[in-house]
Amino acid sequence: MLTWLDQRTGVVTATKDFLTEDVPGGASYWYAFGSATLFAMILQIATGIFLCFYYAPSTATAWESTKYIIEKVPAGHFVLSLHYWGASAMIALVAMHLLQVLLWGAYKKPRELQWIVGVFLFIVTLVLGLTGYLLPWDLNALLASTVAIRIAGNAPVLGPMVLHLLQDGDGITTLTINRFFGVHVWLMPAALVALVGAHLAIFRWNGPAGPPIDEAPKLKPGRFWPDQMFMDTVLSFGIFVLIVALSTFSPVPLDDKADPNNSVFVPYPAWYFMALYALVDIVGSLPSWLVQTASLFATIIGPTLLIVLLIVLPFVDRNPSRRLTRRPWVLGLTALIMVAAIGLSWYGQNNVVTGQLAHNLIGPGAAAVSTSTAPSTPVTTTAGSGGASSSGGSGGTAAAPAAAGAGAAVYGANCAGCHGATGQGQPGVFPPLAGNPVVTGDAKTVIHIVSSGLSGSVTVKGATYNGQMPAWKGTLTNQQIADVVTYIRSQWGNTASAVTAADVAAVK
Amino acid sequence: MAHAEAYQDPGTPQEQSRRQFMAQATIALGGVIGISLAIPLVVSLVPSADASNDAWSGLTPAEVDMLKKATANTPVKVTFDVHETNGYFGAVDSEQFVWAIRASDEEMMKARPDLFQGPNKMPYPVVNMGFTIFSPLCPHLGCRYAYIPAQKKFLCPCHGSVYSVLGVHEAGPALRGLDPLPLRDYQGKVQVSWILYQANTPAHVVIQVG
Repeated sequence: MLTWLDQRTGVVTATKDFLTEDVPGGASYWYAFGSATLFAMILQIATGIFLCFYYAPSTATAWESTKYIIEKVPAGHFVLSLHYWGASAMIALVAMHLLQVLLWGAYKKPRELQWIVGVFLFIVTLVLGLTGYLLPWDLNALLASTVAIRIAGNAPVLGPMVLHLLQDGDGITTLTINRFFGVHVWLMPAALVALVGAHLAIFRWNGPAGPPIDEAPKLKPGRFWPDQMFMDTVLSFGIFVLIVALSTFSPVPLDDKADPNNSVFVPYPAWYFMALYALVDIVGSLPSWLVQTASLFATIIGPTLLIVLLIVLPFVDRNPSRRLTRRPWVLGLTALIMVAAIGLSWYGQNNVVTGQLAHNLIGPGAAAVSTSTAPSTPVTTTAGSGGASSSGGSGGTAAAPAAAGAGAAVYGANCAGCHGATGQGQPGVFPPLAGNPVVTGDAKTVIHIVSSGLSGSVTVKGATYNGQMPAWKGTLTNQQIADVVTYIRSQWGNTASAVTAADVAAVK
Repeated sequence: MAHAEAYQDPGTPQEQSRRQFMAQATIALGGVIGISLAIPLVVSLVPSADASNDAWSGLTPAEVDMLKKATANTPVKVTFDVHETNGYFGAVDSEQFVWAIRASDEEMMKARPDLFQGPNKMPYPVVNMGFTIFSPLCPHLGCRYAYIPAQKKFLCPCHGSVYSVLGVHEAGPALRGLDPLPLRDYQGKVQVSWILYQANTPAHVVIQVG
């Protein structure tokens, strides 16, 4: 049977050729990042194809069909979440793969072209992430993409042309969704597959680079099949399990439908653009005479230079040695850029996003507090429309409206990070406040927990939590504690009595 | 191409057995990934259960007036709204039509005896309120046939099946006459039931109601 097939197609011989390959110095998990990236790509293509069965790109249908996938399609939310987390995994793996090749000096002669193709693969992957971000057409999709498009539009000389080309016209319209869709599902995947083909073909020509040493490996070569393939599969399997777990326990959210007139919602970027996001924020707080030049550098010139640097690296760094100790400049610069990227991402996540997310879900009242850490971000608190949130808004009637606004601000700045913007908590880590009988029970208990903290195991709605709730009495005033307690007792369906600063003083 | 030097050495028995394990484990893990991915992907293609439509559609007074214009030898097209679920657009009213002809049981029994007895007997009355209504879909392969007033015939544009005003199959490839649909006066409201029958069979095989 196999002989019959092979005589007519050569498929068995081709597979044998493919599997028979020496691995310098023996098989290693260090060599598995490339194949794990390839696995993530296959996962993205498979889930993406199936999402195409339901998704419809237009302003009238993009959000509706995404919602339909989440709510009506059997296993639809899971498949969409696999695609969402798979995207994160793919970008992380591409970055790790690139970083490893960089550290090991594997881009050096004769692998310059393989490296350059790899850099283009990195860019294509980021473009896929960026274009995919618009497609759900929720508030975050629209605003995050608006920011990205406007940044591109600020490029010197070509900016306005690029802006119109990306948008397909004067504004972000139904044509923009179509354009991003075309780029996301056809142009970039086709480029990706073609480039991966080239990447692998060149890889087979040169063979694996092996460990970062200059002499031939002393250990005898290992086998690709089954030794290396086994390790590749184990890593891919681990990543698959992680993606499945994330998709199950943290499925992809969908905000309210995109509304170009919404001036309250604050968009948040994907984590892989967090460093750029933080940079935009920091640059915005510079002295005003510097802002424009600095922004241009931070958002356009800097990233472009970085890409150019990556592309020309094998020609600039002509030191043939691959030993780590003999390449202080390249490794030092890499370390510097990595530290900067991680530091900026950390800054973006902690100082900008957390506060602003609370703003989205709680309302403009909280914005006054959260934006104090992000002075450059203009937050228009027009019409007290409750932040156009996807959450319940004010459900309770027990609290006075003024206290609810102040309580919302305190909550957004201090509590939402753990207990969630809608009091939903975080499964297994932070207990929910919405529908929590302790919160709506005796006010004295609630005040005591907020002011003095809580540790040890608690059970809420059948789930056990064992975290550390900090004591807030040193940080918040009695009035603030009263406001926030009143707030949590009257939100998200909770309807318990309000408390006053005097009540707080009595408990303390 | 790689030199595959390592493959020239068969390895120690321990190595061989280790490799056998790795090969099997690779295939097993790959299989687990493949199956656990294939299941949700295939399941996502299953049509959702709540996509079914209402079994009966009501006619407005104007539409009932239209129905009443039908005579024994001049059919009329009666339009009405079918309440249906249109994917992510949700519940929508989509316009639908049937052909109506005034008829009596005796006439129909004479013209279309197979609808009243034998294997092709309809499970519901063919004549209701003095009318018979026909599905607008040609029983051959589902195109919408037209009424040609000059010849008092129904003619299907796709493959040329011809039917009399009582739905008798007279020419062309169709295997049965036009399909009567249920019509009723339900609590003072005239209602039509939209039934989709399998195409190109002599018998009435229900595919979908509503």
